[in-house]
Amino acid sequence: MCKIQKSENCISVSNLRKRYGKANTYAINDITFDVKYGSVFGFLGPNGAGKTTTVKILTTLLRATSGSIYIFGRQLLKNQSEIKKRVGVVSQNPSFETNLTVEKALDLYGILWGLKDKQLRKEKINKILNTFDLESIKSIKNDELSIGQRRRVQVAREFIHEMDLLFLDEPTVGLDPSARRLLLDYIKSQVKSGLTVFFTTHIMEEAEYLCDQIAIMDKGKIIAFDTPSGLKQKYGKGTKTIELTFNDIPNKLLIDHLKNIVNKRQSRKDPNGTNSFIGFNGVHTITITADNVEEIISEVLQLIYKDGLQLENISIIPPSLEEVFLSVVDKNGYSNGREVGR
Amino acid sequence: MVNNILLLVYRNLVAAIDKSFLIWMVAFPVVYIFIVGYAYSTLIGNREINIGSVSVTYTSFLTSGVIGFNAMNGSSAVAGGIVWNDKRNGMLQQLLVMQFSKVQYIIGNLITIILIGLVSAALIMIIGLPTMYKNANITLWSVPYIIYALASGSVFFGSFTIILSTKIKSSEAHNVISNGLFLFFTFVSSAFYPAQGLPGPLTIAFYLNPLTYIVDISRAGIFSQISAFTNIQVLILGALAATVFVIAIRSMVSMKV
Repeated sequence: MCKIQKSENCISVSNLRKRYGKANTYAINDITFDVKYGSVFGFLGPNGAGKTTTVKILTTLLRATSGSIYIFGRQLLKNQSEIKKRVGVVSQNPSFETNLTVEKALDLYGILWGLKDKQLRKEKINKILNTFDLESIKSIKNDELSIGQRRRVQVAREFIHEMDLLFLDEPTVGLDPSARRLLLDYIKSQVKSGLTVFFTTHIMEEAEYLCDQIAIMDKGKIIAFDTPSGLKQKYGKGTKTIELTFNDIPNKLLIDHLKNIVNKRQSRKDPNGTNSFIGFNGVHTITITADNVEEIISEVLQLIYKDGLQLENISIIPPSLEEVFLSVVDKNGYSNGREVGR
Repeated sequence: MVNNILLLVYRNLVAAIDKSFLIWMVAFPVVYIFIVGYAYSTLIGNREINIGSVSVTYTSFLTSGVIGFNAMNGSSAVAGGIVWNDKRNGMLQQLLVMQFSKVQYIIGNLITIILIGLVSAALIMIIGLPTMYKNANITLWSVPYIIYALASGSVFFGSFTIILSTKIKSSEAHNVISNGLFLFFTFVSSAFYPAQGLPGPLTIAFYLNPLTYIVDISRAGIFSQISAFTNIQVLILGALAATVFVIAIRSMVSMKV
């Protein structure tokens, strides 16, 4: 892999903008980023943030309004036929040949990718069928497959050809947990062999599991960009959650006292902050999320001791990528239901 | 470029042709020729039908008409099916993110349409040979007329169904509109009965239908009855096919992916 590597970055995007027709707003508004060779670049964002539009531009399905794109160190639009030979794309929407069985469809896909040697094609198909657990459905027509099975075939099919860069636009939608894990592990193994992956997803666990770098996009702009741990450090702001599980149901008085502790800290540190709050997990578990749980915890434990309640479990949980994502997007004024980027 | 186009033609043929399509392509015209043809012959009696200066039996006349009809059927089914399925099932988008361009996709479809049109017509010519061999008089001079009529007819009907497939959104509307239009194309044409001697408005309707030109030209070629009127029909059919093809290209280019 990486046979045509000629620059430090596999993808280099500068000041990219996309406006649909004569609309006043930009679906993509001046985004700049680089993707290093042999890494997984996660592209996250709420619906309509502009992720798919970006992928469509990078895969030549859409023309950008302005900006520059270099892939493998070459300008995309001027060298697209050469570049596209080394790029795989798994689109967000399903794509399949209705009348063909899984095996025949894979064979046809191999031919389209220029795999002329029948024996080589057969070997590759068998490997794919085996790797992606498709043996049992290889003689079934695409039309008769379930949505999840079709998705598995769509993703698996892309690995029939040699590539240096793979675009995965929400590839795990419709996959069951085991198929999802199988795919993510396979991608990881391919990345170790030099593949570069541009990955969009809504599932934060996947992004955390797979990505080396993550860009969070909203309203057509990249609003956060770092490694997963860097994002947590930067945007988690040390916010952690204390999870208290009691043997008995905690009484209202205790809850009111806990609220007082949290509110007291909140107003002292940052009167306008929204990072401290109390939540419930079922009837036995209380969660306290705060900027500095180390300061609160001794007070909380003293209170519980005074109340004479029996604690079954106590744990301190660091911020998840999902919390970081929600915090970043919320700050940017997330507008649900907006469909700018489609 | 050429390699990519050939790959796309191969892909179209593999993806679009299955057993049911082949059975339909052969069974449908066979029913027309051997059942409708002989059944109507008993109604008509011994009366022969004039094509230029020759007279032919009704089954001969019908077979030569069904050749053009099958070119229309085959090309429109394949072209509409390919574009409709590629659009609905995401394969157009997938092909365009591969090494193929939209221009190559369009040319690939055009070649597939012509190939299917010619092959399906040739198939009927072979099957219907027993009904025509006494009257048919195919010469070197008439062969180009036959091929031209079938190829440009395939382009016309293939392009026409591509336009329908790109413009119509729901499959129900697509079925209703295409079935309605093809009912007109099939039966308001000279494929099944001669246009001469029809009431005035019906004659006009016949000559508004490109299938009439395809059938008339190919029939003139099969029975070597090429006249000045045939050459006018050649020009009209060429112009119609080119116009509809250009519209089809425009609608394919503007198709959202």
